[in-house]
Amino acid sequence: MNLIVLSSVIQRVRRNIAAGPYLHLAATATIAFSMLILGVFAILYVNISDLVRSWQQDIRVVAYLEEGLVKERVELLRRHLAELQGVEEIRYVSKGEAMTRLRSQMKHRASLLDGLKENPLPASFEIELAPGWQRWERLDPLADEIKTFSGIEDVAAAEAWLHRFTGFMGFFRLASLIVGGLVFATTVFVCANTIRLTLYAKRQEIEIMKLVGATDSFVKIPFYVQNLLEGALGGIVGLGLLFISFKLLIARLHSGHALLSTFDIRFLSLTGCSLLLFVGIFMAWLGSYISLRQFLRP
Amino acid sequence: MSVGTGVEPVVQMFHVHKRYGPQIALRDVNLTVLKNEFVFVTGPSGAGKTTLLRLIFLQEEVSEGQILVNGVNLQRVRRKMIPLLRRSIGFVFQDFRLIDSYTVYENIALVLEATGHQKSYTQKKVRQVLGMVGLEDRMHTYPPRLSGGEQQRVAVARAAVGNPWILLADELTGNLDDEAADMVFDLLRQLHRRGTTIVVATHDTRLFDKVAGRIVFLNKGQIEGEKRS
Repeated sequence: MNLIVLSSVIQRVRRNIAAGPYLHLAATATIAFSMLILGVFAILYVNISDLVRSWQQDIRVVAYLEEGLVKERVELLRRHLAELQGVEEIRYVSKGEAMTRLRSQMKHRASLLDGLKENPLPASFEIELAPGWQRWERLDPLADEIKTFSGIEDVAAAEAWLHRFTGFMGFFRLASLIVGGLVFATTVFVCANTIRLTLYAKRQEIEIMKLVGATDSFVKIPFYVQNLLEGALGGIVGLGLLFISFKLLIARLHSGHALLSTFDIRFLSLTGCSLLLFVGIFMAWLGSYISLRQFLRP
Repeated sequence: MSVGTGVEPVVQMFHVHKRYGPQIALRDVNLTVLKNEFVFVTGPSGAGKTTLLRLIFLQEEVSEGQILVNGVNLQRVRRKMIPLLRRSIGFVFQDFRLIDSYTVYENIALVLEATGHQKSYTQKKVRQVLGMVGLEDRMHTYPPRLSGGEQQRVAVARAAVGNPWILLADELTGNLDDEAADMVFDLLRQLHRRGTTIVVATHDTRLFDKVAGRIVFLNKGQIEGEKRS
């Protein structure tokens, strides 16, 4: 595109926007709103994924020992467990240590434990897992195998909740895809209709342009430029709103909820923001493409 | 069937038929227009005058036969090439076909913008054609504020600004009073004197005496004869 064509394009883009400013404002606002919705889902997705990842790193197996095992037997069990695949480290927790921990967890309610005649808590092995073994599909068979060891009373692993949470993440992923798809389709539809209305209003002008020797590209380019500008502007406004809303929400959470304040909730990365902006521009472009293809079909 | 003043054919029509469903608009038309000729195509309403011009301008496709414009076979022209070919043909429409939201200047400049000409060249050329049609002082006016005659003069200026090989005019004076019609027709004579080939579809017989040219009589889609004016 040379400078002459560029100046003509700019002039026609200006004319198109001036001919229906509210229409273009509505399209830009729709893109901004879509960006906001997509952005909220992206932030939730990123942060929940972070949380799951951090929880997965903390996953361990606890093997509770039968009452009255002699020291040698305990040591033998530890050695056998250490030979299992996926076991990285084993820590022995005696009955006394288990009680101390419980007391410290119960804090001011620890006095309730004073009435106990004997320590009901079993001794246990806390088994740290090797990297890659925190997934429930590997954890479950490992726990089953540990249960078969003589001297082991019970095994507690995080597999049940982890399984449920993995299922929830799958559902969340699917829901995000569906909502994202709907938002995408709606935005493309709105952009396509904005261009369609502009094209309809300018059909006589376009017909005359073609009669005086204008190519399809000459006719199309201003409409593409106009929608790409709307996409970029809508994307920037949407991301801006998302950032402001995020900051306000985080400030509120940190002041009101002590538990939530311990989580490091993060905004989208620069790549994530760029990707979202690109999606906004792409939606606007796709809308133009669909309408122009239909309108200029011979 | 051709009587020309030059030797190079600009338009050649061989056994051209045009049908719209069962209706026949043109039947076995053979016509050659030579370089720098002034040709009137005349006949009653529905004779096929407009269809003939539209076929040359690639607004319609022939049903049968062949048309060559400057040696280019129009049936072999790909869709993408149509705008490029149209740039070598000027067309003046009976209803002017000006863009109401563009000024006079912009309407004419559009032809040169679409072909990627330099702004300085466009300005010079548009001013030149506006001077020729006597509307230099109206260049910033929008078409709805012009009289019919002025609008048609703008349409002629637009058709002429790209230096076409041939200029086609469909019922050029149909919507104009005699004075405005004479003024517009004078513009075509000027262009003809400068070397442009002109084909005018008209039923205004007054025009025939105003220029030395060829009159082609069309009736019910067929050429019935021709004579010199």
